[in-house]
Amino acid sequence: MNTLTITNLSKTYSNGVKALDDVSLTLENGMFGLLGPNGAGKSSLMRTLATLQEADSGTATLDDIDILKQPAEVRKVLGYLPQEFGVYPRITAEQLLTHLAILKGITNPSERKALVRYLLDKVNLYDKRNKSVKGFSGGMKQRVGIAQALIGNPKLIIVDEPTAGLDPGERNRFYNLLADVGKEVIVILSTHIVDDVRELCTKMAIMNFGEIVYHGSPQAAIDDLNSKVYQKIVDRDQLDNYASEYKIISNKMVGGQPLIHVFSEGHPQNGFEQVTPNLEDVFFSKINTSNVLV
Amino acid sequence: MFKTFFLSELIYTLKQPVVYIFIFIFALLEFFATVSDNVQVGGAIGNVYRNSPYTLTQHITIFCIFSLIMAVTFFNNAALRDHNNEFNEILFTTPLSKPGFFFGRFFGALLVSTLPLLGVFIGMLLGTSMNSIFGWLDPNRFGPFYIEAYINNYLLFILPNMFLAGAVIYAMANKWKSTIISFVGGLVIIVAYIVSTTLVSDIDNETIAGLSDIFGMNTYNIETKYFTPVEKNTISPSFSGLLLQNRLIWSVLGVIILLLSYFSFSFKQKNKKVKKQKESHSKNETIFDLPKLNPSFTGNTSWVQFKSFFYTNFLSIIKSVTFKILFLFCVIILVADLSGGFEYFGLQSYPLTYRLIDSIEGSTKIFLVIIAVFFSGELIWRDRDSKINEVIDASAHTSFISMAAKTLSLISTVVILNLFFIVIGVIYQLLNGYTRIELDVYLLDFLYVNLPLFITFSGVTILIQVLSSNKYIGYFIAILILFVLEIVLSILDISSNMLNLANGPFLQYSDMDRFGPGLKAALWFNLYWILFTLLGLLVAGALWNRGSKSSLIARVKAARKEIPKSYRGVIAVATIAWLGVSGYVYYNTQILNPYRSGDTNEQLAVDYENKYGKYRDVISPKVTDAKYYIDIFPAERNMNVKADIELTNASDKPIDSLHFYTIDDWDSSFDIPNSKVVYTDETYLYKIYKLSPPLQPGEKMVMKIDNKYITKGFSNGRGNTNIINNGTFFNNGQLLPTMGYNDGYEISDKNTRRKHDLPPKERMPKLTEEVGELHMANYLSDGQSDFINVETIISTSKDQTAIAPGTLTKQWEENNRNYYHYKTDTPSLNFYSFMSADFEIAKRKWNGIDMEIYYDEKHDVNIDMMLDAVQRSLEYYTENFGPYYHKQARIIEFPRYATFAQAFPGTMPYSEAFGFVINLEDETDNNVIDAVIAHEMGHQWWAHQVIGANMQGGTMTSESFSEYSSLMTLKSISDNPMKMREFLKYDHDRYLRGRSGEREKELPLYKVENQGYIHYGKGSVILYALQDYIGEDSLNVAMKSFLEEYRYRNTPYPSSLDFLRHLEPRVPDSLKYLVNDWFKEITLYDNRLKEANYKMLDNGKYEVTLEIESSKIKSDSLGNETKTAINDWIDVGFFMDDDEKELYQQKRMKFNKEKSSITVQLDKLPVKAAIDPRHLLIDRVYDDNIKRISLQE
Repeated sequence: MNTLTITNLSKTYSNGVKALDDVSLTLENGMFGLLGPNGAGKSSLMRTLATLQEADSGTATLDDIDILKQPAEVRKVLGYLPQEFGVYPRITAEQLLTHLAILKGITNPSERKALVRYLLDKVNLYDKRNKSVKGFSGGMKQRVGIAQALIGNPKLIIVDEPTAGLDPGERNRFYNLLADVGKEVIVILSTHIVDDVRELCTKMAIMNFGEIVYHGSPQAAIDDLNSKVYQKIVDRDQLDNYASEYKIISNKMVGGQPLIHVFSEGHPQNGFEQVTPNLEDVFFSKINTSNVLV
Repeated sequence: MFKTFFLSELIYTLKQPVVYIFIFIFALLEFFATVSDNVQVGGAIGNVYRNSPYTLTQHITIFCIFSLIMAVTFFNNAALRDHNNEFNEILFTTPLSKPGFFFGRFFGALLVSTLPLLGVFIGMLLGTSMNSIFGWLDPNRFGPFYIEAYINNYLLFILPNMFLAGAVIYAMANKWKSTIISFVGGLVIIVAYIVSTTLVSDIDNETIAGLSDIFGMNTYNIETKYFTPVEKNTISPSFSGLLLQNRLIWSVLGVIILLLSYFSFSFKQKNKKVKKQKESHSKNETIFDLPKLNPSFTGNTSWVQFKSFFYTNFLSIIKSVTFKILFLFCVIILVADLSGGFEYFGLQSYPLTYRLIDSIEGSTKIFLVIIAVFFSGELIWRDRDSKINEVIDASAHTSFISMAAKTLSLISTVVILNLFFIVIGVIYQLLNGYTRIELDVYLLDFLYVNLPLFITFSGVTILIQVLSSNKYIGYFIAILILFVLEIVLSILDISSNMLNLANGPFLQYSDMDRFGPGLKAALWFNLYWILFTLLGLLVAGALWNRGSKSSLIARVKAARKEIPKSYRGVIAVATIAWLGVSGYVYYNTQILNPYRSGDTNEQLAVDYENKYGKYRDVISPKVTDAKYYIDIFPAERNMNVKADIELTNASDKPIDSLHFYTIDDWDSSFDIPNSKVVYTDETYLYKIYKLSPPLQPGEKMVMKIDNKYITKGFSNGRGNTNIINNGTFFNNGQLLPTMGYNDGYEISDKNTRRKHDLPPKERMPKLTEEVGELHMANYLSDGQSDFINVETIISTSKDQTAIAPGTLTKQWEENNRNYYHYKTDTPSLNFYSFMSADFEIAKRKWNGIDMEIYYDEKHDVNIDMMLDAVQRSLEYYTENFGPYYHKQARIIEFPRYATFAQAFPGTMPYSEAFGFVINLEDETDNNVIDAVIAHEMGHQWWAHQVIGANMQGGTMTSESFSEYSSLMTLKSISDNPMKMREFLKYDHDRYLRGRSGEREKELPLYKVENQGYIHYGKGSVILYALQDYIGEDSLNVAMKSFLEEYRYRNTPYPSSLDFLRHLEPRVPDSLKYLVNDWFKEITLYDNRLKEANYKMLDNGKYEVTLEIESSKIKSDSLGNETKTAINDWIDVGFFMDDDEKELYQQKRMKFNKEKSSITVQLDKLPVKAAIDPRHLLIDRVYDDNIKRISLQE
């Protein structure tokens, strides 16, 4: 069992933006979902854990490795897929993965060859192994990125927005792959797609403005909201009125008219109907604490 | 629409600071070039005004090359701005007018890209006007303002050059939509320029060279090559001649390129060609299992990682388009350089390995530097540019591994390129049928010179890129360091190679002396720079920007945890090693072998003059006899010289003190009877001995000198190239101190003298007819000696032969060394050489005279030709001028550290670089060996039998006469009178170019002040013409009778007037004007054949009518020319062939008016007619003397 412990991690950028604000988390083997809107500090946290960025204060340890002080040790057990995964020009998928496998310590050529082929097959790119990666579509490139994150025997896999650009089929394959490896290692999955977390993760955290606003299991979060979420289709002109009267969690358009979800301890009446809360409601209720229209 | 885009382009670009930065930089550079002697653009200026139209044009054309960078920036931007901002899809879907957009942008960019060059105008105008206020430089060095010069420079150079460059770059940018390709466009233009420049090396190619120069720079230089200083000061470049043709050709080409680009330009996005993916039919059914993995992180892992990094990086360079293009450019320039390029008289050397090495280095170095700079940036920023950096950075490898692999891939690229160039060189040698291919020399040279250079360059550019926060800032700093550092160091007067990146002593391979005296120092400097580079890379590895971009300070902090302990150990070891080597190099180059910088030397010379000038008139005894005991140790590069010098008081006063100017680098001790040292100045090497009793008039004494030269360690530069492993060559002046005050050490440049408040110095004493004090010294030994006997016992190592002046009377071996005893047969000038090398000797006897060629065994090809040339000279000179007084005539080869031949009594050292290795297989070509050997043999009469007094005109009777003698031997073997014109054109060119670059004043031949272009160039032309006018015999008789009067006579020495005294009786009255025109004044001719028509006569003959313009021009010393009335004899003749080989019906006619018409009847119809068909007269434009004959209408 691996344990990742993050304690009071803080980081402020030179322009004054607080990327990490006293973040503390403890993670064990399994898939961990990190939810949050754009700019919440998810990527900062992941980059810090991936030894790519310094923190101002706090600590992070993976088992007995101090991530901030022993970056070289962490990198030996790390799989990382950044938000933006690019590739070199004039190099084939197989060459690229081979190079990355070497960097991850797979020095035995036959092992390496078998591994690269296995991964290429897993991400459904075996047929294209001798094509230049630069010419791949966005989704294909992303699959190469996923493959490289799985190289070696990582204890910690960090994937930042991995399903962006994947079609639903590819997404499923990817999740199956992740779920396979995720049993024995820590997988941190950052995303803003709520469904991903619901489908995959047993544990999750929601980040906003550099802070952890929720930490726990997705089901527990949903249970918290049980019978406290109500919805109503309203007039667009009336939105502002509702916003001042109710704690609006979210509004989205349904058939051209706003459908609002509100949080309420009791039934608000007034045409609202109770709904079974989902993770999306959790997400919005956690980040939309200032009760504004989003 | 045009106006909209034109103006918006203009406004957009004018908001860019880069425009103003460039204007400022150019203005600043030009300002300093105008008001300071330390900053030079192009070459030195001399008599030409700092702000003359010529200077301005020179500077503008040079700056035009640099402004290509701006052209690339602006035109690329104009073409690609929308594309790069991904605004094109929005913009191009609006209803635009295509011509308005295309040309509006283009001309907007064109106008802006000419602006920075206006900075040059500003700099020059500002410099001129500020100098008139502050007086940094003598106001006499500035001339009036010519508005025309500025306007024409803009219209003839700035605008057309930017137009053409812009058209090429704009077209390429529009076609390929890539900034890199636009830069390549800039390079295309530079390559075209360089290729065209290789054509200028021979006069025959000048027209092609002038037309093909894309910048018009060579064109302007060719057009003005014969401009006198006055013309340079007053005449602006004009819309005429070759320059106009050149400008039209290239502007039209620019228009064509622009139009082609316009018609292929479309707003629509090109559909990317999609290669149809091959369907993979055989669907793979293999089942893959995840293997059991054993990731390991050991030393071996680092090695495997290093290899993988190396492989991917190396391939990324080799496969990139930029690399392929740069590579192609290298090859183009190398091949152009190999196949073009002439050395002397339109001749080429055999393709010796060292020549190919020089060629490879000369033509490819700049591209290799570009590769180092460009790819260092590409490699370091490659992960980031490809957005894969986070993945790579988060993997378990040491940063140094990745960086070392990048560096090595860069170095490997350069290695592979160099090896490829060597292959090209070998192929070139073989294609030319040359089989002495020295692969070892190629490879060693690469190991000694280019490899360490590029290791250092690559390492340093990589370090810069690692440290800088942005690729382009990195490029900027790298360029600054690689190109500007040297300029800064020279301004600061720092010449230590330890501070000048990747520098070391210059290595020049010689077939005789291999890599020469600088090799040891070069190897140490290489080690020094490689360790420096290693250290830099280790630091770079520690400061590698891993992860998100962070400031240098943050990286220094992070480095502590990123780098392992062992790494710090390696840094410490490297630092210690580097410091150790630095210390050793410093000790050798600064303490053991100190040197002085240029400014220090200048100041020393000034102080010397101020301090010791008072001894100018001190009387010294003359050297009247000399015995030398010389031991040469070639392997150690040491020499012991003992000399017994007999001194005679030749004056009429007693001499009570001896003044010496001793020589640097030698341990000297003097043993002077009855004397003691009363004054020693180590800095200025000045020493005074007091004699008691004084040396009475006519009294003799023997001074014993013991001089040692010991080579210690190595020096900052190449070191002494006279005392070397194979090919030692020095003359007596280099091993004995000078007696009396040495005014040769004084500063001679008039502007430098003025800067140091020294009084103006005459180059030479005035020519005087009346025999006086000045006639008592000849110009070679300047009163220190006359004709004396010399005896030498010289020894050298077992494998070498040593040579001293005179007959070899005895030869023996002792202590495993070779000893030789030489003795002169006749009193000779106190001016002779000593040499030692591993020689082959070719001998021939002629009338009791031993003709000997001492040569390196590899250079045997032209030896017979050399013996023939010696014999031919002996035959012609003994018959026409009188006996040869030595018993031997020796030609002795010395290494190519210098390129000249020199005549000492009976011995003539001749550089390996010209003559021995020149390809003279084509007998119709000029023969440099015949010419040079005959010239040096000529000196055995003209200089060594009679030598001029030390005054104006002194060199005429030695240099001009030897050159004339040489021409006469060539004439004696040429079967066609036209052949001499081929040779003489180089003499004409030498004279006319020389006077154009005169820094002080041109003098008539009889007052020549040791000016090469006059005594060689003009002297040979005039004497050759004179023998043609008055007859070969008459001139030879005049020379002979002059010789007989002065032969081997000690004092007084003759002046040029003494020769004219012998000449005048031999000149018929009708030609008396020649003596005045040619010797005593500066006279040029302007002959033109305006019309040449024929008609057939009834008797079957042809009547040819020639319209001739002819005038005679007198010039003053600055080149102010005045036309004078003509009343001269000039040849008129015809050619039967196009090549002007077959001269027909030549006739000398008197011309006494500017325009004349001549009608002659001829039996045959010639092809061409000519005035002065054999080019005897000095005419700045000779081409217009010849015209094709056409049928009269």
